[in-house]
Amino acid sequence: MILADYAFAIASFLLVIGGLAVRSAFSRKVQFWFNESMLLLLLASILLLSFYPEHVVSGIFVISPYSLFFMALFTAGMLVINIIAFAYSEEYADFAILSDFALLGMYLISSSGSIISIFLGLELSTIPAVFVILLSRKGMEAGVKLLIMVSLAAAIFSIGMALFYDASGSLSLNPVSQGELLGSALLLFLVSLGIESSIFPFNLLIPDVYQGSQPYLVSMLGGLNKKAAFAAIIQIVILSFLAFHSAFGLIAILAAATMFYGNIVAMLQDNIKRMLAYSSISQAGYILIGIAASTSQGIAASLFQIFSHAFAFIGIMGIVAWLETKNKHNLSDLDGLSSENLFAAVSITVFLLSLIGIPFTTGFIGKFMLFVSAINSGFLWLAILGIINSVISIYYYSKIIIPAFAYQGKARRLSMGKASVVAIAICLAVVVAFGIFPQPIIGAANAAAHVLFLSH
Amino acid sequence: MLPILIILPLLAAILIIAASGGRRYAYAKYLALAASLASLLMLPLISTGEYNLSWISVGQAYLPISFAIAPINLILLSIVLLVGPLVFLYSFGYMKLPSEQRRFHVEMLAFESAMLVFAMSGNMVTLFIAWEFLSVTSYLLIGFWHRKHAAALAARKAITIILIGDVALVAAIALLWNAAGTLQFSQIGAMMVHGSSLGYPLYAASILIAIAIMTKSAQFPFQEWLPDAMEGPTPVSAFLHSSTMVKAGAFLVIILYPIFQYSGTRWLLFASATITVLISTLNAMKETGIKRILAYSTTQELGLMIMAAASGAILASLYFFIVQSFYKALLFFNAGAVMESTNKNDIREIRGMSSNKAMYLTVIVGVASLAGFFPFSGFFSGTALASSFSLNLYTFAFISLIGFSTSFFIFRWMLFPSRKPEPSQTNQRLNVPRPMLAAMALAAVLALASVAAFFMLPGYINSYSYYLSSFAKASALRLGGFSAATVETVLAVAGASASYLVFRKSLSLRSPEISALVNNSRLFNPLYGFFASGVSWLGDGIKSFDTSLDMLFEHVGSLTLGFGRQARLASSGSINTYVAISAVAIAILLVYVFLLGGMR
Repeated sequence: MILADYAFAIASFLLVIGGLAVRSAFSRKVQFWFNESMLLLLLASILLLSFYPEHVVSGIFVISPYSLFFMALFTAGMLVINIIAFAYSEEYADFAILSDFALLGMYLISSSGSIISIFLGLELSTIPAVFVILLSRKGMEAGVKLLIMVSLAAAIFSIGMALFYDASGSLSLNPVSQGELLGSALLLFLVSLGIESSIFPFNLLIPDVYQGSQPYLVSMLGGLNKKAAFAAIIQIVILSFLAFHSAFGLIAILAAATMFYGNIVAMLQDNIKRMLAYSSISQAGYILIGIAASTSQGIAASLFQIFSHAFAFIGIMGIVAWLETKNKHNLSDLDGLSSENLFAAVSITVFLLSLIGIPFTTGFIGKFMLFVSAINSGFLWLAILGIINSVISIYYYSKIIIPAFAYQGKARRLSMGKASVVAIAICLAVVVAFGIFPQPIIGAANAAAHVLFLSH
Repeated sequence: MLPILIILPLLAAILIIAASGGRRYAYAKYLALAASLASLLMLPLISTGEYNLSWISVGQAYLPISFAIAPINLILLSIVLLVGPLVFLYSFGYMKLPSEQRRFHVEMLAFESAMLVFAMSGNMVTLFIAWEFLSVTSYLLIGFWHRKHAAALAARKAITIILIGDVALVAAIALLWNAAGTLQFSQIGAMMVHGSSLGYPLYAASILIAIAIMTKSAQFPFQEWLPDAMEGPTPVSAFLHSSTMVKAGAFLVIILYPIFQYSGTRWLLFASATITVLISTLNAMKETGIKRILAYSTTQELGLMIMAAASGAILASLYFFIVQSFYKALLFFNAGAVMESTNKNDIREIRGMSSNKAMYLTVIVGVASLAGFFPFSGFFSGTALASSFSLNLYTFAFISLIGFSTSFFIFRWMLFPSRKPEPSQTNQRLNVPRPMLAAMALAAVLALASVAAFFMLPGYINSYSYYLSSFAKASALRLGGFSAATVETVLAVAGASASYLVFRKSLSLRSPEISALVNNSRLFNPLYGFFASGVSWLGDGIKSFDTSLDMLFEHVGSLTLGFGRQARLASSGSINTYVAISAVAIAILLVYVFLLGGMR
């Protein structure tokens, strides 16, 4: 236990401080390998930590199966994103160090024992993201928009914190009883985190931001940052506000609205990244279903869906990054992709099938668990709306899949760099392997969800 | 031994995808035929039992991928595996464009694999996975010529209707799982046999499953997608109508019979099937497209199967299920060959089907089987069905009328294209490629041989004890004695003669106009004219119902898109709008909190 703790602490310390040092002295390639090896070390130490029972490092930093689940997810995701960024980014050196800061912020969110550390973690994870967007000239508008909305979220969150402290006398995540003040606090937390995790109607800027940013960055925003916000929502809602029964009805309504909004507007998009932005909004709606169920089963389902969407999304963004270098930005540019690059066509198909929820991908298992948990908690209507939304989503995902294979015109082979092949292949392997043998992830998600309900 | 069987066609499909580019597409058809034949050869190696591969377990809930091999599963497996190679052989002659072959074979192999998994599924989850893959692959195959507008429309119509069934099935699975705690067919079946009450959820689940069956097997009110699905290539129709896809629904009625019996929802299936039988028989008598007549005949046969199964005559239904596969595949092969060599679609315009003697022989086998002549397979299935309904006079009369009409319309289907070609036509003989002829000959042999199943089925079904055994034992497969056999023969002969008498004049006439038909006989033709107008009226009614269903889908679609357009405006790109919308939302939510007094 001591060893693993130290390994983890040293690795995260090295990741940031060492990264800064390496950035100033060495080439971009050295920095990449340094970063990747530190991330691997972190992943190894997290997996090592997961063999030990829950323990508290300090009052605001708790290592539990829940935090380990998210920490492992974030680290693994960051490993892949680093490869994509290394392959396509001109500002890799800056991205690497900023994304490391963001990663530490995500660690802080997922392992926090108090609202203050969630707040700190949120700021630590989103502000570097804003800066990375601003690094490229094209991203100015998107970066400023994100900055304004993030500041708005921070302001609302602080008001929520103030109300919470006033009513409960503490900032620790302990169960609280009902009341108007606390109800408003919960609401403000939901709104603030809703901006970060793209819950309707606080998600309107997401498509603008995604469209205006580099794909590797979008993969971090949608794949990890958004998931970190969900990690915060789940902790706050389950640890403190489980007694607020009608809040879960509200979350169910938000889930349905988010799904419908994302799916219906996605049907109209022509730009790949915009469509994927709306698709990721609808996926956020699915994740909310499990939170609305507010049972251990529902949270486990949400965690699985978070895991599933993170890797499918990062993989798709890897492909989109490659497509953008080939000057393909619209859905119509994907016609006949299979004859241009079969690997890209097959992998984007698998990722989209996972987003639809076709069996033998992680997406199916996530949705299946979500719908079952919703029905078990009495939200049959929500499960049915979820199924209807899955059907709607087939429409726009097939707008990519079918033309990619159907048109076989004048095929000009397009090659893909080795680095991005590796990144995409990792995501592909995760989506398919854990779609066929999901038990390890389900087990981890169950353990993580179980911890949250211990105090009740 | 078990999984290998499924993997072979799927493996071939993957191989074809992988071997892209160059001239390698030429091997796709050989690979497809070889893979489907190889899995047929492996069929005898499979032993009965239940195979579970652990997949998901959440809490106490344990969901394996489950395969059940009981006689009933082996029957469906052998049907699929016997018809599959024939279809691929037929495609040798049919799919001539090399550029299409790769995609066609990949989709067909995936379709066959999905049906194989369906045939072996041992629990609802495995079944649902196969069911979903069937939907997707059939969508791709119906819309195979997606540049043809009608084909794209037909595929969209099919997938829309089938998705209704998919959603119903998911809901049913969730309900069943909550109520019964298991999704294994064997355990649910055992539960039903012991009469343990699951109450309301079981009732709701069985109705939802019935809806899924009605969409998949094209039963009223979802019957219209199947005739439209004729837009796909003929091998697809032959496969889809005989052994895969639409048969999935009828098969589900049989394997889930205990659920329908104990929830008391058999009437729903029975009623829907009866209406379908009536509508499709009438439509088949009126229709003139050579493949569309066969399509209506398929919905009618599926209706009869479901009627029989829903009323407990499982063995009669199963026997019909078996024999229909072979003669229907054969008839579709014939229709495709005629359409290909004449380039015509309307039976009133096609002539000279009898000029190719070898093919015509197979046509006669197919038609005689469908009409129910002794000793063809249709005779045995007809008597078995009639005798299982003989206790109730109304259903017996209904079935008899349907038997007569079936013989009538299938002879109409045969007689018109069999007319001698006009002297002006130079091309006298139908050119049928050898592989297609070989496929037809083999299908004809199978159609003849399937008679034997009548005598083997009862013993075979009871050779292995499982949850359906008690139900199968209760439903004997009877010939119904001399009288039923006589009635069946008389009906078939009467239908055929009526068909000949009614159409005699128009058959000998040079002019193929239907108006000539109505004016040229003293007794039958006025009657037929009256009848035909009645059918048209009913058919138009159904069509307008169907159109309104279409329009409903269209309106819902445009409504959602319209809403989407409005909603998209919200993302106008202006940060002020975003902040304002967020503020309004916060205000609304705060009101909600205070109205509820702190969220009780």
